[in-house]
Amino acid sequence: MTEATFPQCRIIPERFLNPETTERLLNRVISVPGILRMVLNGPRLPATVTYGPAKGLANPHTMRQKIQVGDQELELQVHVGTVLLEIESRDVIPALQAAIEPVFTDFTFRIQEGRFMKTEPSLVDYCKYGPDADKTMLGLADPNSKSRPIIIQGNK
Amino acid sequence: MAYKPQYGPGQTHVAENRRKQMNPEHKLAKLREVSDKDVTLVMGHRAPGSAYKSAHPPLSEQQEPACPVRKLVTATDGAKAGDRIRYIQFTDSMYNAPCQPYQRSYLESYRFRGIDPGTLSGRQIVECRERDLEKYAKELVGTELFDAALTGIRGCTVHGHSLRLDENGMMFDMLQRFVIDQKTGIIKYVKDQVGVPLDAEVKVGKAQDAKWLKANTTMFHSVCGTGFRDDAEYVEYIQRIHSLRVKYGFMPKEA
Repeated sequence: MTEATFPQCRIIPERFLNPETTERLLNRVISVPGILRMVLNGPRLPATVTYGPAKGLANPHTMRQKIQVGDQELELQVHVGTVLLEIESRDVIPALQAAIEPVFTDFTFRIQEGRFMKTEPSLVDYCKYGPDADKTMLGLADPNSKSRPIIIQGNK
Repeated sequence: MAYKPQYGPGQTHVAENRRKQMNPEHKLAKLREVSDKDVTLVMGHRAPGSAYKSAHPPLSEQQEPACPVRKLVTATDGAKAGDRIRYIQFTDSMYNAPCQPYQRSYLESYRFRGIDPGTLSGRQIVECRERDLEKYAKELVGTELFDAALTGIRGCTVHGHSLRLDENGMMFDMLQRFVIDQKTGIIKYVKDQVGVPLDAEVKVGKAQDAKWLKANTTMFHSVCGTGFRDDAEYVEYIQRIHSLRVKYGFMPKEA
């Protein structure tokens, strides 16, 4: 059960990340013990053109690729700009900082602490999941989409 | 003494660049060669080489009413031929793009005839007769007003102006109309401005380097370029306009 007291942080790189860099970054992130939930944020990269005269045509995009994170393969649906994290305690942040620093060689990044992820169900969550929603799943995927969060095996 | 337009306030090089671009006597530096066919392809309004479609018969075949303004104003080539109205739209990145929406509308009004520019926060559209448009578009794409990575020709799905650049230094584009060749650094359009794939790629050359962009941008940006607050004259001018507009909202009565 997610407690509202769990701290959250986010990684903000200076540039939007290519899929290869995202893969390297996430593999380093999951090597740090104490990360509970993670959301990749950024502008969406739909598989088909959503509106305009080219609506419905395929939308090939080099940033929408499959990446391997831990033992899971996932297809990026956004051009990753920010990584939101929920962590067990604030002590995880220095370890996280040290783990991801080698990824950012050509540009900078920073880690901010704050509240960035959903911890209580919204009206849409209530409609989709009902009154007994699993709070660990809230905010990890759009309730209107059929996609489910990806579970990566912990290392604790 | 003859009136000399000032074009705009400001003491920084950003302000100077703005004035330079607006001044029709300043010849815009040509940075890349993009052919008429390529410009037509990217805009996607007609197949290159095909006839221009018309909205009305040529003016020479029409009975025009007796009108003193029509005698004063010479019709553009497109208007004479009765061409359709078509458009080109640009998105400019906030990260030191050489031009920006308001600037585009100002400079087009000074430099081009028979146009209808539309300015939005992150994009700017200009509409005019088709054959005039092709002439103007070639100038907008081929000169210092355009950067291959930071300026996008986008008829729709324009989001990207205020987003961080990607690792390759390109502005975000959901439809990825233009891609960079990692080996050569040359940027090419693979889709037209509304996202329909092109039969042939259109090369628009390499992106300008950061130093050139910083020196030639017309965008204030406190992090990666020149901050707006560094330009005291510009701030004073904007504050004056703001103050006058607010006061006018209360309909002040002159004594």
